[in-house]
Amino acid sequence: MLSVKNIVKQYATHRALDQVSLEVESGKIFGLLGPNGAGKTSLIRIITQITAPDSGEVLFNGERLNANHISQIGYLPEERGLYKKMEIGEQVLYLSKLKGLSTAEATKRIKFWFEKLEMGSWWNKKVEDLSKGMQQKVQFVATILHQPELIILDEPFSGFDPVNADIIKNEILELNRQGATFIFSTHRMESVEELCDHIALIDRSKKILDGSVDEIKGTYRNNTYWIEYEGDYNTESAKDIFDVLQTENIKGKTLLKIQLQKDKTANEVLATLLPYVAIHRLDEVIPTMNDIFIDKVKRQDYE
Amino acid sequence: MNKVLLIIRREYLSRVKKKSFIIMTFLTPLLIAGIYGLIGYFTYKGIKDTHDKIAVVSTNKTLTEKLVTDKNIEYEYVNQSLEEVKKSLKKSDFDYVLYLPEFSLAEPKGVELFGEKQAGLSLNNRISGDIEELIRNQKLKESGIAQADLDQLKTSVDIETKKIADTGKEESSSAGASTIIAFIAGILMFMFIMLYGIQVMRGVIEEKTSRIIEVMISSVKPFQLMMGKIIGIALVGLTQFILWIVLTLTISTVALSVFVDKADVKKIATSAQGGTQISTGTTVVQAPQGPMVDIQKSLAGLDFGKIVSVFIFFFIGGYLFYSALYAAIGSAVDSETETQQFMMPVMMPLLLGYALSLSVVTNDPYGNVAFWLSMIPFTSPIAMVVRLPYGVPGWELALSMAILVVGFIGTVWVASRIYRVGILMYGKKTTFKEMFKWFTYKN
Repeated sequence: MLSVKNIVKQYATHRALDQVSLEVESGKIFGLLGPNGAGKTSLIRIITQITAPDSGEVLFNGERLNANHISQIGYLPEERGLYKKMEIGEQVLYLSKLKGLSTAEATKRIKFWFEKLEMGSWWNKKVEDLSKGMQQKVQFVATILHQPELIILDEPFSGFDPVNADIIKNEILELNRQGATFIFSTHRMESVEELCDHIALIDRSKKILDGSVDEIKGTYRNNTYWIEYEGDYNTESAKDIFDVLQTENIKGKTLLKIQLQKDKTANEVLATLLPYVAIHRLDEVIPTMNDIFIDKVKRQDYE
Repeated sequence: MNKVLLIIRREYLSRVKKKSFIIMTFLTPLLIAGIYGLIGYFTYKGIKDTHDKIAVVSTNKTLTEKLVTDKNIEYEYVNQSLEEVKKSLKKSDFDYVLYLPEFSLAEPKGVELFGEKQAGLSLNNRISGDIEELIRNQKLKESGIAQADLDQLKTSVDIETKKIADTGKEESSSAGASTIIAFIAGILMFMFIMLYGIQVMRGVIEEKTSRIIEVMISSVKPFQLMMGKIIGIALVGLTQFILWIVLTLTISTVALSVFVDKADVKKIATSAQGGTQISTGTTVVQAPQGPMVDIQKSLAGLDFGKIVSVFIFFFIGGYLFYSALYAAIGSAVDSETETQQFMMPVMMPLLLGYALSLSVVTNDPYGNVAFWLSMIPFTSPIAMVVRLPYGVPGWELALSMAILVVGFIGTVWVASRIYRVGILMYGKKTTFKEMFKWFTYKN
């Protein structure tokens, strides 16, 4: 639904985005990752039409991005705030009317969401009387109230306590089931890993990785396992099946990190060990997105 | 467009509903009416109470004419030596001792005034005026003019200044009234542009520091947000201005009819004339003709409709001109404390226009300085409303208005280009060089 094509954005002395292209599929949750200052916010500001690219184009449902799309995009910036002296209800009403909702429709929806998120009594409160977490909830409601097709959340869970983060996470999943497409922008991968279908990694204004979460994890698997057992076994004799990367002895148990030789399977490891030791567990070492992220960014540094 | 209206509405309502706005709006007319009343009261009381009794000690043989008592000064010739009178001054009911030594009429020297308290400037002037008149009369008599003729010579001339308007109609005017109106208009204009311009700046900074700005500009264009804010606050200013006029008039009228009966008003007017007749306090014989009445008369002669509408035009124009610059400043900083370096260059022309308008322009409303100040858009809003009560040719007014319109379109354009970049910049100390760079950015 959203195609970003060869975007270049140049600020006076530095290039914020260099030939960045992305495809966000409809109904998916897309993770836009990268360290601070990589260019994520610049890209989002182009998608939300806050700024325009120097070259390249953005297509929204096949159409070149234009002012009509503003009402179909919801954006929760990382630096978010509200008018401190304004009442909550009035404020959300104002923000959603700016997105094109009528007063009656907006009021109805605000009541619905305030009820749903247990904010029913907040209507006449002022922002300065709310806690930070409560403000975040208000901002979330303001972001999604006009039922946008595309919802962009910049660091969505920063500032939420675990309980509220969970509530918001569930709302995101529900909206996603109803067809909304999401873009998460974050430098804290672990916070969104379980939600994302697809990710792109941006570092120093360039896209350096792009693919579905499963695919990427697949390519980063390298046949490494943790195995834990009780008993004595000389691993030297299994050299043609696996290499030992790491050994630990804890209270009579042995914990090994092993890497399989080419064309060997975990089954063969078990078959070799079973006669000699009591096996407690065998886990495949799957790199987290965080590991991949750090690995990729560091490799860029090295190069 | 609809979005701009929404923004205007919010900016307007959120300010008009504030307690400080309501208090300011309703308290100020009360204060003005109160001050006006106090001034009237003290003028009346002051004039009534100014009554000095002066002992005249004359050793002058040449001057045979005598000083005549009037309603403010009572002269009494005493046959004592100066030293004696001076000694007994404390015990006597005289306020001052006037000493007239022997002098030739051609060169009157050595007149002295002694008192327990230092004589004020106005008393001093009055006495010297009386003596001068005395000497003149005596000189005239010596040249052979009879007392009867002399009395006939004494006429009081009251100049009624009239201005021939463009239409050929004669309009009463008074330099005094024009100056008062010019001062009030100039001060009001300066206050309004400053106060409301700074409100725009505060509003922009508030949006920046509360970080709502990014949410806002994902819905509306920075230009729409800026204009919405500027127009919304302009309407707040107009509301306040109109309420002030209406409330001040209402309060003054009500207060006047409740607290002061008609006879008293007349009395104030008469006693303020500074004429030669002693008012008996109860009956007023003379028709009111003093300067106060004069001012009232020519106030009625001024075209208030025109002054108010031109004032409103220049307020809107001048406000747009300056508030756009204030918006740009607000966008460039993170907090109000950082605004100083940018405020200076914006404040200077306004202050200069204010100071020059109230001094040079009121003294010479048709001169070169007045002309140029009322053309340059940085100073024209103040200079023009100051010039207006004295009368400004139609073409000058039109030209000045046109320049101001071009001027504010220019500042709004420049400001919007700085604003759209500035509002997204955080944590950097902005310099003028940087602002210029922002100005040249493409979208």
